[in-house]
Amino acid sequence: MLAVFKPHNAVITGIGELKPSMDAGDKTSLDLLGEAAALALLDAGLHKTDIDGLLVTPPSEDSYFLWPSQVAEYLQFSPVFMNMVELGGASAAATIARAALLVETGICRHCLCLSGGIWDKHVFNTLEGKMAVMSQAEIDYDLPYGPMGFNSGYALIARRHMHEYGTTPEQLAKIVVDQRSNALANPDALFRKPITVADVLSSPLIVDPLHLLEIVRPCSGAAAVIVSRLPAYAGTNHDPVYVRGFGEAYTHNSIAYAPSLTTSPIKLASRRALQMAGIEVKDIDFVALYDCYTITVLISLEDIGFCAKGEGGRFVENTDLTYAGSLPCNTHGGQLSCGQPSFAGGMSHVTEAARQLRGEAGARQVRKNRRALVNGNGGVMSTQCCLILGRE
Amino acid sequence: MADDRQTYWQYISTGKLGLQFCPACQKHIFYPRGLCPHCLQSGLEWKEATGRGVLYSYTIVHVSALPDFSSETPYIYVLVDLDEGVRIPSNLIDCHLDDLKVGMPVKLDFIERQGKDLPVFKPAI
Repeated sequence: MLAVFKPHNAVITGIGELKPSMDAGDKTSLDLLGEAAALALLDAGLHKTDIDGLLVTPPSEDSYFLWPSQVAEYLQFSPVFMNMVELGGASAAATIARAALLVETGICRHCLCLSGGIWDKHVFNTLEGKMAVMSQAEIDYDLPYGPMGFNSGYALIARRHMHEYGTTPEQLAKIVVDQRSNALANPDALFRKPITVADVLSSPLIVDPLHLLEIVRPCSGAAAVIVSRLPAYAGTNHDPVYVRGFGEAYTHNSIAYAPSLTTSPIKLASRRALQMAGIEVKDIDFVALYDCYTITVLISLEDIGFCAKGEGGRFVENTDLTYAGSLPCNTHGGQLSCGQPSFAGGMSHVTEAARQLRGEAGARQVRKNRRALVNGNGGVMSTQCCLILGRE
Repeated sequence: MADDRQTYWQYISTGKLGLQFCPACQKHIFYPRGLCPHCLQSGLEWKEATGRGVLYSYTIVHVSALPDFSSETPYIYVLVDLDEGVRIPSNLIDCHLDDLKVGMPVKLDFIERQGKDLPVFKPAI
């Protein structure tokens, strides 16, 4: 067996995130990325010329041919290494894992991870928009039956989980209710109206059993994270946040061909991340879990091991998931409250974990903030990247 | 269109559901491919499916942005586990929403959509 790689020198030194918006005005995706990068550089106390690594995720609807090159030209970066990471919603977390590798090996000193873009509803809600996110197999053998983007895939998972384990709509609703409580303490959240379980269940059924309030809202925005090599962060402004471990796992692209609907590759990805960090689930103080839908969070909690498989419904029912609770989850409100600015939705879990670990989360600061587990999820529980971030 | 995709639709045009079968792995395969995803060898055969299976999961789609489906809601989008050991996405027809149940036996049927025959499933009584 190969020795487990253990990162020691990879630290998050800068974060920058734009307030998610439903209308970005005249700005382009590249403009948003530039604004987020500037915020991260300011946060880190670094200059643009310090950046020698550039990892980007795809934009929402722009052509992303040679995207790293487009970004580097528009913002005038000249990195020694750059790449685009396309793992759907897991892309943002995966840029952090790859940046950690780049700085650990000494190839880069300061690697900028950039994610986000403009959301265009005129593209999103068309047949072309739907086909743009489908594989050829999905177009040939799935599209003729009217799958509703990712909605129907996650609905199939929720229905199967209900069948196998008796999970209830009320239990799923509790997840977004707790996250909304968190959003009330986040001035940057897109949705800040308090909601109850009854509100969730009385919102329109979109894809039975999932209701409108259980489904993420696409929007525009961007986020940037700088991963640096110790001790190169000398000029930076904050205590470093250590990248202690990462783990990834892949079993399928389309949910129709997944080995299971109720157990996801997060199970393997989280084991690998915890093993790299040399810790166990009980050592995690809080989590930032990709939440495109309520069911995504429930499956994640089970697969990571916070409760047994099938116990997720009862677990979320009996656990306070708010920033004041016993297992704080998505303390910024999650994407379900903040919106999903393209692939930057996944980065919002990284930036929030970093804020909490630094002790800079303000009104929503968690009490125990030594270690966090962040998950990025792409497709329909398809691509998974777990990160272990720590204060030390 | 590649041969494997063409053969799939040719089966359907004769009122049958065809599945690929790998003689080396002794496994059925869905969706059609140019080689077996298990052993990565070519030489896949085509066999007619029994058309029997069980409902693995379903969702009732109430809101659809797809142009051909937005006026068809609510409709039932499903995954069916065929007796041959493969899972396929489809629609369930001729089933009252109250009778829908994960695990229910289903059987093959065909509908015409956009001038093309399409394999779907209905409850097997």
